[in-house]
Amino acid sequence: MTDLNPTEQGPGLRTLPPPVEAFADDEGRIIMQRRIRREKIFYRLCTLPAILVTFLVAIVPLGLLIFNSFRNQRTGVLSFEYYIATLGNAFFLRTLTSTIMMAFGVTVIAIFLALPLAYTLARRTLLRNFIMPVITIPRMLPFVVIGYAMILLLAPMTGVANKVLLGLGILSQPAFILFDWPGQAIAFSYSGIVIATAVLTGVLMSVDPQLEDASVSLGATRLRTFFVVTIPLAMPGIIAASALIFTSIVTSYAIPVMLNGRVPYMISLLVSANLLTLQQPHLAYAQAVIVSLLAIGVTAAAQYVLLRYGQGGRKQ
Amino acid sequence: MTAMSDNSIAPVRRWTGFGLLGKGLFIAYLALMLAWLLFPIILVLLASFQGKLEVTLSASDFGFEAYKSIPPAYWEAFWFTIRTALSATLLALLVAVPAAWGMVRGKLKGHRLLSNLVLIPDVVPQLILGIALLTVFIPLHLANSFAGVLLALTALSLSTGLRFTEALLTGLPDEYEQAANTLGANRLTTFRLITLPLIAPGLAIAALFIFMQNLVTFELLYFIAGPNASPVSVRLFSDIVDRGVLPYAVAMAGILIYVAIAFYTIVAIVLGPKYMAGSVMSRKG
Repeated sequence: MTDLNPTEQGPGLRTLPPPVEAFADDEGRIIMQRRIRREKIFYRLCTLPAILVTFLVAIVPLGLLIFNSFRNQRTGVLSFEYYIATLGNAFFLRTLTSTIMMAFGVTVIAIFLALPLAYTLARRTLLRNFIMPVITIPRMLPFVVIGYAMILLLAPMTGVANKVLLGLGILSQPAFILFDWPGQAIAFSYSGIVIATAVLTGVLMSVDPQLEDASVSLGATRLRTFFVVTIPLAMPGIIAASALIFTSIVTSYAIPVMLNGRVPYMISLLVSANLLTLQQPHLAYAQAVIVSLLAIGVTAAAQYVLLRYGQGGRKQ
Repeated sequence: MTAMSDNSIAPVRRWTGFGLLGKGLFIAYLALMLAWLLFPIILVLLASFQGKLEVTLSASDFGFEAYKSIPPAYWEAFWFTIRTALSATLLALLVAVPAAWGMVRGKLKGHRLLSNLVLIPDVVPQLILGIALLTVFIPLHLANSFAGVLLALTALSLSTGLRFTEALLTGLPDEYEQAANTLGANRLTTFRLITLPLIAPGLAIAALFIFMQNLVTFELLYFIAGPNASPVSVRLFSDIVDRGVLPYAVAMAGILIYVAIAFYTIVAIVLGPKYMAGSVMSRKG
């Protein structure tokens, strides 16, 4: 079998039975090695287009962006001035803090709200098949569509929620919450709950129900089992989902612009304002680098925790 | 199944008031969550048929005026999105399939490195990648053009394509290809006659997912789009920012919902709904 396989690597070839004649051994090996080398080059050539596309469309632009963030816009002198200016700017720091708080709060709320639903869906096949489209279809819509729905629901005069609440006499005047941070938080928590439910359902399905049954048979109640057995087993998924939601909120652009108040609440607004209207692209690059470091840092931290946590456990 | 047999053996459960209250609360929670998850779809669809910004439940307002009044620019944007998404899907697969094949069958040393390299456009926030691409595309005259959007989408979908194909090829024993090789077929013939037909069903699913992902991409394209190249999500976004909610924009949003429903139906029929549960198709707001 292996004798015929030219893709086998060097160490595998040494196990070939020695040929009868000595000179054929040398020549055969040289031909074989040349063939293997040609095979390798062929395989490498196959991967070349992928590398090329990634380099041209991602690595080079990102590298230029990072390089430019260190370069003065007029003089071209390399320095940290934009980073220092950004991190010394109280307005930027305040917006960054509010962004992180928004992302953190929404993530926690989304996970808490979605966890029982995800658990129910994971254990009830019939219900899951019935509800799955409800979770999946919002994930396949551009976020703009969700923004339209938010406006239809919460707009001060025409929104459904305001009209219903006014009609019931709960509110005496329309609530102007849409075009400010509460409206953004509601929109984000919608997408957060959708992501959390979808990811957690998958994760909780992989938690063996027999472990829960064992816990119940040993005397624990269902509720206690859920907290002591199920949640720790599903922790890797919870961490992954949290990181996904957090980063998607920190770097989101559509909702902060659509539901913008008078004061920018999310960091992406500052970046795009510097880039598009204030004509300070290099400052915008520095801010973009800071934001992406935050997002990638959170993802990497989650990966690290997963790696440490999931030493024994299995993760898809 | 085990839970059911447990219940049949276990003594009859006594319904205490507290337990009933908990059950009721839980059902109320489930119903509220369902309503919360469903409301955008229902609201947008209702509003798209009523052609107004105020959603009412009176049946008399229903009509197709909003759909009829969708301007040609919107349809252009819609078909532009379909065209770019389709071409980017094909291009990404054309690039990703040979790469995955080389990596898996060649047992290359830089295997992990390449997988992670391709992942970069997916990991870097789309906002940042969009800004970076804008900087490079303007001098190259690629911003605001079909080619620019196509390139950006291709780079984005490469990681999905590569991961899918890698998994498919790893699951495929290479004895079939070896047999074809032994019988005298060259690499290309082997690939065309043996490998491709074997992984084709999986590739079709991958293409479907990549296509859908390309269809909804917004932040990456927002910066490099322009009047000559505006995907429908960007068009909807700039209209809502500049002019507020318009009836025909809501109708267009409704059409996007129909596309998503159609996509879900196809995947559910082909794969079964279970498949969607674990898939981490990232949705970035």
